[in-house]
Amino acid sequence: MNKETLEPEKWVEHYADMLYRYTLVRVKDPDVAEELVQSTFFAALKSQSSFAGKSTEKTWLFGILKHKTMDYFRSFKKNISIDMSSEEETNQIHFDSSGHMVPKPGNWNLDPEKATENKELAQVLAKCLSGLPDKFHSIFVLKEIDGMGSEEICNEFNIKPTNLWVILHRARNQLKLCLESNWLNTK
Amino acid sequence: MMDKMLKALKLTCKDVYPLISENRDHPLSFFSRVRLKIHLGMCELCKIYQKQLDFLCKIARVLGKEESKVLEETHLKPEVKEKIQKWIEEKS
Repeated sequence: MNKETLEPEKWVEHYADMLYRYTLVRVKDPDVAEELVQSTFFAALKSQSSFAGKSTEKTWLFGILKHKTMDYFRSFKKNISIDMSSEEETNQIHFDSSGHMVPKPGNWNLDPEKATENKELAQVLAKCLSGLPDKFHSIFVLKEIDGMGSEEICNEFNIKPTNLWVILHRARNQLKLCLESNWLNTK
Repeated sequence: MMDKMLKALKLTCKDVYPLISENRDHPLSFFSRVRLKIHLGMCELCKIYQKQLDFLCKIARVLGKEESKVLEETHLKPEVKEKIQKWIEEKS
């Protein structure tokens, strides 16, 4: 089997956009995303000798980027509990006196098979994601996009499981309502 | 006794809807699980809500894949690319 080699001169051409888009989904601020991609390339160039050739160049670069992104998420961990108490439950679902949802959940009319192929819907979701508060955003990303386990997230951010559930519940709700008002109503 | 049990099992949407989300994050207690199941069995709105969260999370997963095509039209700024390229060429 051929050993993978690195071709730094071609990194930008081959991977810059890919890495940037990946980061943009995970951090809200495009400037931060840009910086993370830059520092990924710089770090990669400096640590070329650590590349063992067992993975592909792409996988290796993504690995460095993932570390950098996680470090960025960790910068939110300090004041996570403070925000919990002050977080207004804005734009959330309400209930009438008999306990029914107001507004009623809209009919999304999505074909379950094709929903995930709907690029337009995913683009709206990307926009909606960036509307989440920082910590909600990073926790939602880790849980739902990167598939990190609840326990690990709690450890990373030093929060209790009950806090995590509330954060995720609110994040999902806000995203759901955002999708309904930005995508479904304009169809 | 029976009445009391039925009352305890019966949940309004307001009680159930956080459980729908939480169900994705940790195993619910036996009691909550039964109550959720009973409620979903008779409440269309909560069933729709559950489905919506399902879609939402699936779409998020697709959006975040390494080679996701969703943001295809988004590019790193040319000037930033140029800067990195130059830097790489100088250093390597």
